[in-house]
Amino acid sequence: MEALLPLFVVIPLGFAFITALLGRYIPLFHRIAIPLVFLFLSVLSVWMMANLRETVLTYMVGGWEPVNGIPVGIHLSADGFSVLLLVIINSLAFLSAFYSYAYIEQYTSGHYFYALFCLMVAGMNGVAVTGDIFNLYVFLEIAAIASYALVAFGIKKEELEASFKYQVLGGIGSLFILFGIGVLYWATGTLNMADIHKIIGSTAVSPGIVFAGVLLLAGFGIKSAMVPFHSWLPDAHSSAPSPISAMLSGVLIKSIGIYCLLRFFFNIFTASSQVAYVITTLGVASMVIGAFLAIYQWDIKRLLAYSSISQIGYVVMSAGIGLILLCNHGDIHVAALAIFGGIYHLMNHAFFKGLLFLNAGSLEYRLKTRNLLKMGGLASSMPVTSSTSLVASMAIAGIPPFNGFFSKLVIIVAAVKSGFYGLAIIAVIVSIITLSLFLKFQRYAFYGKPSESATTEKDVPFSMEGTMILLAVCCLLLSLLIFPFFRNLILMPAVHALMNATI
Amino acid sequence: MNAPGLIIIVPILAGLLLLCLPSALLRIKAWTAMAVSLFALVLAFMAIGEEKGLTWMVPFLKDYTSGDASGKLVTSLLRLTALRLDAISVWMTILAAFYAWIVSVYTLSSGKEGEPVPNFHGYVLITLGFAAGALLCDHLLFFLFCWGVLGLTLFMLIRGNNDEQAAAAKKSLIMIGASDSLMILGIGLLWIVQPSMNISGIHLGTDTPLAVGAFLCLLAGSLTKAGAFPFHTWVPDFAETGPAASSAFLPASVDKLLGIYLLARLCLGMFILNEWLVFLIILTGSVTIIAGVMMALAQHKFKKLLGYHAVSQVGYMILGIGIGTPVGIAGGLFHLFNNALYKTGLFLSAGNVEKQTGTDDIDQTGGLAAFMPFTFASSLVFALAISGVPPLNGFASKWLIYQGVIDLGSQGGVSATLWPLWLGMAVLGSALTLASFIKFLTGIFLGARREELASVKESNGFRCTPPVILALLCLASGILASGLVIPRMIMPLYQKFDFVGFWNSELISILVILSFVLGFLFYAMHKLVKIRVAESFTGGEPKKEEKPVVVGDFYLNITRAPFFEVIYRMAEKKWFDIYAWGKELVLATGKGLSILHTGLLPLYVLWAAAGLIILLLVFL
Repeated sequence: MEALLPLFVVIPLGFAFITALLGRYIPLFHRIAIPLVFLFLSVLSVWMMANLRETVLTYMVGGWEPVNGIPVGIHLSADGFSVLLLVIINSLAFLSAFYSYAYIEQYTSGHYFYALFCLMVAGMNGVAVTGDIFNLYVFLEIAAIASYALVAFGIKKEELEASFKYQVLGGIGSLFILFGIGVLYWATGTLNMADIHKIIGSTAVSPGIVFAGVLLLAGFGIKSAMVPFHSWLPDAHSSAPSPISAMLSGVLIKSIGIYCLLRFFFNIFTASSQVAYVITTLGVASMVIGAFLAIYQWDIKRLLAYSSISQIGYVVMSAGIGLILLCNHGDIHVAALAIFGGIYHLMNHAFFKGLLFLNAGSLEYRLKTRNLLKMGGLASSMPVTSSTSLVASMAIAGIPPFNGFFSKLVIIVAAVKSGFYGLAIIAVIVSIITLSLFLKFQRYAFYGKPSESATTEKDVPFSMEGTMILLAVCCLLLSLLIFPFFRNLILMPAVHALMNATI
Repeated sequence: MNAPGLIIIVPILAGLLLLCLPSALLRIKAWTAMAVSLFALVLAFMAIGEEKGLTWMVPFLKDYTSGDASGKLVTSLLRLTALRLDAISVWMTILAAFYAWIVSVYTLSSGKEGEPVPNFHGYVLITLGFAAGALLCDHLLFFLFCWGVLGLTLFMLIRGNNDEQAAAAKKSLIMIGASDSLMILGIGLLWIVQPSMNISGIHLGTDTPLAVGAFLCLLAGSLTKAGAFPFHTWVPDFAETGPAASSAFLPASVDKLLGIYLLARLCLGMFILNEWLVFLIILTGSVTIIAGVMMALAQHKFKKLLGYHAVSQVGYMILGIGIGTPVGIAGGLFHLFNNALYKTGLFLSAGNVEKQTGTDDIDQTGGLAAFMPFTFASSLVFALAISGVPPLNGFASKWLIYQGVIDLGSQGGVSATLWPLWLGMAVLGSALTLASFIKFLTGIFLGARREELASVKESNGFRCTPPVILALLCLASGILASGLVIPRMIMPLYQKFDFVGFWNSELISILVILSFVLGFLFYAMHKLVKIRVAESFTGGEPKKEEKPVVVGDFYLNITRAPFFEVIYRMAEKKWFDIYAWGKELVLATGKGLSILHTGLLPLYVLWAAAGLIILLLVFL
């Protein structure tokens, strides 16, 4: 099974170049082939997840065996967390690409769009499967640079401006990360994640390693848009074409932000409670500030983008609580519960936020506006968009029977059980604000008096409708992960992969 | 499969099926909803006979609980959906099914008139299923799940075709959803002190801060659902703008059932309250009574008036349960049942009036009694019942509550010393209720008829039958209160008690009927004697034309009284609405934060740099 790992990088990378070359001459090639490619990859990743259980897969690219125990070639490795991330990345990529079938007609040079899309997915998949930190940086940059281009894909003034801001701040983030990796290499003499962990674990804490930790924390803080590093996100995520917004908010900030952050601070560094408290603080700040900013927005996609900051905050806070417990030798079951809550929310957020951005894309597709004040009463004319967005809104607001309710439940219960009552209360308050802001979205877009300036007679084309319905069904089905049977199959391997190194 | 599980599963599945059917089949959908809710009602009645105690929602799953992974899934599912049958849960389920049936009968004619909201019937059935789930289940998490879904169906039953309705829908779901989040917190706190998640297994003293916190969080959930002060503000808005059928179904009956059910479970089983918590609950109840009715007095939209009464009446139930004596609890629960009868009836009658006249303003209606006789007669019964006029059911339950309050005086504790205050507030509330329902009755049905209402007719049979049924039930449960209803239905809910003071509903009813007969006889005698009719002597003043009296104006006097003027003005500015407070606070914070987001790149880079420096300072 480990021989399949490179496919996740090679296939989308290959199709990125093929699409860029052939897309111009063979119309419809990219619009049909690329979703199929992603579908194949997501089926593959689900198959891997079903068969992986608690093992770690490793693969030496080109058969370069380690010399004296030190890996010399490109080293891929995947555990439960990586495979979970692969499932999220590729399934969301498939759905977004399928949605784009109709959506992309608004733009010219659609084949470049698909080429960049493939490149971004290749980068994200690479981040998930890589076993050494330098390749992690390379793949991260591939994904990031593809996303810079995709944000600017509309080449209107605000899109270019957003992309520019995103590039500058993303560049600063990458710089921090590269610097951090360099320092880490200097301090430990290796780039392999497992080896670094061993070396850091066996030596005393040196200032160099702490410095590297700070740089990486700030770098991945920028990539995952945590307050105060969040400022690029609202512009970038709202300016990109909607399927790309769904990918950026639903997947990209998780794979090149949260995933790397958790990998580094759970699996590579020896966790200290100081780091854990800082991570939790960053999470709480993002959660609160993102929500307050989101509710003040009238542009749907900006509203969704700010709420992503807030939701990422939930994930980070919950994982941070888990890390605090692990470092302080607290109750291991509560720690597992907290990390489980974070990862469950991460997965849920990918689906409902993806769906919400696609809903916003559908509204923009028909109405040519993103301003909530110019909408209204669309529930009857756009029934599929309206009902699926209601599902997603209720899911993100934590209303049962949708998935967000259960991850919210787990996060709050974990915060209470670990004794962080204040954080539990903050989480409750933020969830109320989240509910309010999504009901604001519902009210102004779909209910109330129909607006005169923006009306439509019909809903969006089939590929867009179908994607939204599929995602809404996912929002419902992911609720099942609360049951131990499904939880142990899908999420617990990821939780154990994170906890293994720390225990 | 046993009956209680089916009460939950069948309506949910049927409701989901109805959601999938196209709206062209509206007739079929309406009749299906009626049939399914009737089926659930029958099943719920059958559940009275079932053995009390824990049972399974899906019993046949028991055969699949093997040791392997899927067997464990089944086991966890079974444990999660354990049902608890006892007198309270079964009776509440019967009532929930009954009101679903009443509302679906009321909307049977919607084939011609269109639904109150899209997919009304489907959501009524789903609400019924999840309400039964919340009432019957024993596992706290499953309870929370069902409870949360009910917030969503509440939203789906109003949604909004116009801006006011959309705003009310949003407000309702935000407040309900907020209380659900608080309940999650409460359950988390409970989990620390109490490893069991089974409602029947929890019996907790409230002497630790954690237990008190858990209790308060869960209490907030129950008060919001039931619509009690200070979490009541969604109810009047919902009632004012929502369709009458939705208001009759959720805020007037099923949400009350659920909220008070949870309160009863909290106070009578899960927690042993300390005296300050008892004081808090009694205070909440009393303030709710007065605040609700005072606001009702000032309304001139009859649906909103009913909405405020829906708040005020909850106060009695909370007061009764808060008292904690058998009489008080019986009074509270009996009042819950009675209130659902007449409040649902009032909303349905109001819906009829609104439908036939096209207005919901008391000042725009009048003199409809002769033209809508069934609606008038049933409204009269409801109005007298809610005002606590003997021998109707509202009196019977209030009487028990008053007795409970007096009983309380003989006990120790903070709240006991203040019993005259509670009694005074409850009695005053009742008097003011009567005052505002005189406005309701005279404003809509009595007085001179307006010309523009000349063509008003009685509603069709489907819309008239439910209020009449409910009115008859109000009469029956009032007249038979002390002989049949209280001993056979109410006492088994908690425990038996002896009546204090003299009260025999049958005797009183006979006396009331006798007095009516005597009155009629006097009137008839008057007819027999020959009398002379002459024009009124006005001393030469020109006689004014008879104009319809605008009843509402009379009641405006109270809003102009010295002290009340300030209060009403504050209420108008939403000073007592925690939703408005929260909204202002959140938006102000959001505005403040967004000022910092200027969109200038150098500033953003500066933040990132500042973030790095702070992190460096923390770690190095």
